[in-house]
Amino acid sequence: MIYGFLRRGVFTLLILLAAGSVCPAGEPTELIRKATDRVIAILNDPSLKGPDKTEEKVRKIREAVDKRFAWEEISKRTLARYWKERTPAERAEFIKLFGKLLERTYLDKVKEGYSGEKVLYVDEKVEGRYGRVRVMIVTKQNTEIPVEYRMLKKGDNWLIYDISIEGVSLVNNYRKQFSHILSRSSYSELLERLRAKVEGTETID
Amino acid sequence: MYGWLRGITLPAIVMSLLWISSFAAEAAAQTEGLEAGRPVSGLHTGAHGVLLLTDAKGQAVQEEGEEDALGPDPWADETESFDTIPDPLEPMNRAFFEFNDKMYFYVLKPLGTGYKMVVPEVGRICIRNFFTNLIMPIRAISCLLQGKFEGFGIELVRCMVNTTAGFLGFQDVAREALRFQIQDEDLGQVFAFYGMGPGCYLNLPFLGPSSLRDTAGWVGGLYLNPLDYMVDDFWPNVGFRTFDTLNKVSMRIGEYESIKKAALDPYVAMRDAYGQYRLNQTEN
Repeated sequence: MIYGFLRRGVFTLLILLAAGSVCPAGEPTELIRKATDRVIAILNDPSLKGPDKTEEKVRKIREAVDKRFAWEEISKRTLARYWKERTPAERAEFIKLFGKLLERTYLDKVKEGYSGEKVLYVDEKVEGRYGRVRVMIVTKQNTEIPVEYRMLKKGDNWLIYDISIEGVSLVNNYRKQFSHILSRSSYSELLERLRAKVEGTETID
Repeated sequence: MYGWLRGITLPAIVMSLLWISSFAAEAAAQTEGLEAGRPVSGLHTGAHGVLLLTDAKGQAVQEEGEEDALGPDPWADETESFDTIPDPLEPMNRAFFEFNDKMYFYVLKPLGTGYKMVVPEVGRICIRNFFTNLIMPIRAISCLLQGKFEGFGIELVRCMVNTTAGFLGFQDVAREALRFQIQDEDLGQVFAFYGMGPGCYLNLPFLGPSSLRDTAGWVGGLYLNPLDYMVDDFWPNVGFRTFDTLNKVSMRIGEYESIKKAALDPYVAMRDAYGQYRLNQTEN
């Protein structure tokens, strides 16, 4: 029962996906599927095996995944009402730092490698500029993890602005943390904590 | 006497309820008042302790001005922009959070890692299946009490099939062969079904994130857990529970670390994740 709900390992999503069932799919699903398949291909690439190739592997995955995310939108939604108070320069800095934090967290997973998770594409819904793709990740231990990608159409492109895993939205989770910190201390304190996270100077245990 | 666990937990719950009712008002004023932009009307929920168990959505007060920055989000729950779960007992919860954190890194993780090296994954999955099958009554009764008759039937059939063809539940043949999925229902969800809100957030030693409502559900579940009727004596009972926990931990090593690594405030991250997760469960 201890931390029972933690099973949806937060950032495993984009990395641990494998091609799944066939269902009629629109543009957003196809984009998710493409990015997913690309990541799996990189993880399974025999020429990228071995510890000395980790750097290259991480770089390739970053390239494949980076362009699917609406980084500014994610930052805006996590800072919520505090976003308005920031200058353009501060916003740019925040987007960069927060993006790095997410990147660092999920790319850590890459180093562990791919362990045979399957992805079933459940459904897709589009309402104007907004799209939602639902998938089900099935782990090797037969645990099913529902994941929802929320996407926004920017120009011709669908970009992810939130990921919800077993009902836990990433953006909401960070918004709660940020507002908790901001309501008790300052923006500079928040930045400092972000930097410490990104640099990985803190110890976990 | 099989009721030892209930004997301990019931008085503990009652005492915590009393304790909460005396401190909640003050604590709520301190913590919730700090949440900038939250109108004071949110405070009344904390003031009545036991009466905290009111409508989940009723206590949420929208954060002011958030909408401007956010823009619309058709996929978001209407409740998502609210506080998912009130936390008037934050100082106590944070202390237990630290305790559980240390427990994990100094006791559970080393034990789980060792256990993982000794017992192959197939064996651990079988053991997990066994314990999952054992607590079928909790899920079945929870389905029944919510009027989910199909789920109730599925749980009964699952248990019959798995206990026989699945070798006492070590194999989940009901899922593999019949596609009968586990019905993830518990008494906390039953209480929610009848309109009870989470009350307030609790981070319990050994048990981790919970809420007043879900803790009550957990205690109720002890009456439905066959383990307590089959294994009467204290130490063997504790032994089985520890074994179950260790087995589960061995399959999840690294997950807590990832969450902690990703979070700026791990305590708040866990609290919100729990709130969102349970909200999502109770809506289904």
